Amino acid sequence: MGKNDQEGMGISNSIRTLRFLHDEMTQKQLAEQIGVTRQTVMAIESNKYSPTLEVAFKIAEVFNLPLEEVFRYRSDK
Amino acid sequence: MTNKQKLYQWLQETSFREVTLSVDFLVTAYIFYIYLSRMYYASAEELASTVWLSGVLLEIIIYSVVLMVLSYIVLAFVSDDELNQPMDVREKQIDLVGYKYSAMILQVGVILAIVQYGLDKQAETILFEPIPHLPLHILLVAFLTAELAHYGVQLYKGRTGEIYG
Repeated sequence: MGKNDQEGMGISNSIRTLRFLHDEMTQKQLAEQIGVTRQTVMAIESNKYSPTLEVAFKIAEVFNLPLEEVFRYRSDK
Repeated sequence: MTNKQKLYQWLQETSFREVTLSVDFLVTAYIFYIYLSRMYYASAEELASTVWLSGVLLEIIIYSVVLMVLSYIVLAFVSDDELNQPMDVREKQIDLVGYKYSAMILQVGVILAIVQYGLDKQAETILFEPIPHLPLHILLVAFLTAELAHYGVQLYKGRTGEIYG
């Protein structure tokens, strides 16, 4: 995961921006809505942790956006 | 970023689970220190005495129970109802990684204790000076080290986020 980030690959997201655009939603508020801890939201935001598919869909649902507009996958291909 | 901002950010990033793990780590480290200091200052007669050794082990157990109960009572008072919340997938993964390292240390400890037990039967030792009841000490040190690794690895992985290693 960390290695992928350094090489510019892996999963990235725009959660921080989306929270800001949604009335400056806090990490805690988002965490409560998707059923994880604030630390997990923080880890996802900083690309240190890839969420499960279920959590990813829940995050997209909170922002009312399709999954690919919240998460992006960059490969070396 | 100023030191004040860094401290604020650090406090923001610190979860109640991290505080709980830190307390567990410190309590275990203190118990380990008590055990090591008792062993270090013990005379040869005391080390050979099963009564003295039983007393030390009982003391360690009592310290463990009392300190753990006290710490959980204090943590329950200061927690923002976080103590009752179940772990999410990421925290469970971190917990499992902690158990992995803990199990590895315990396995090595048990193997060393078995080897030493065999050597004791042949009146030999893997150390230079024979220590009475050495297999028991090896097991205890392995157990305490495994507990420290369990808490320490969780704290490290939780903070760095590199949970896949």
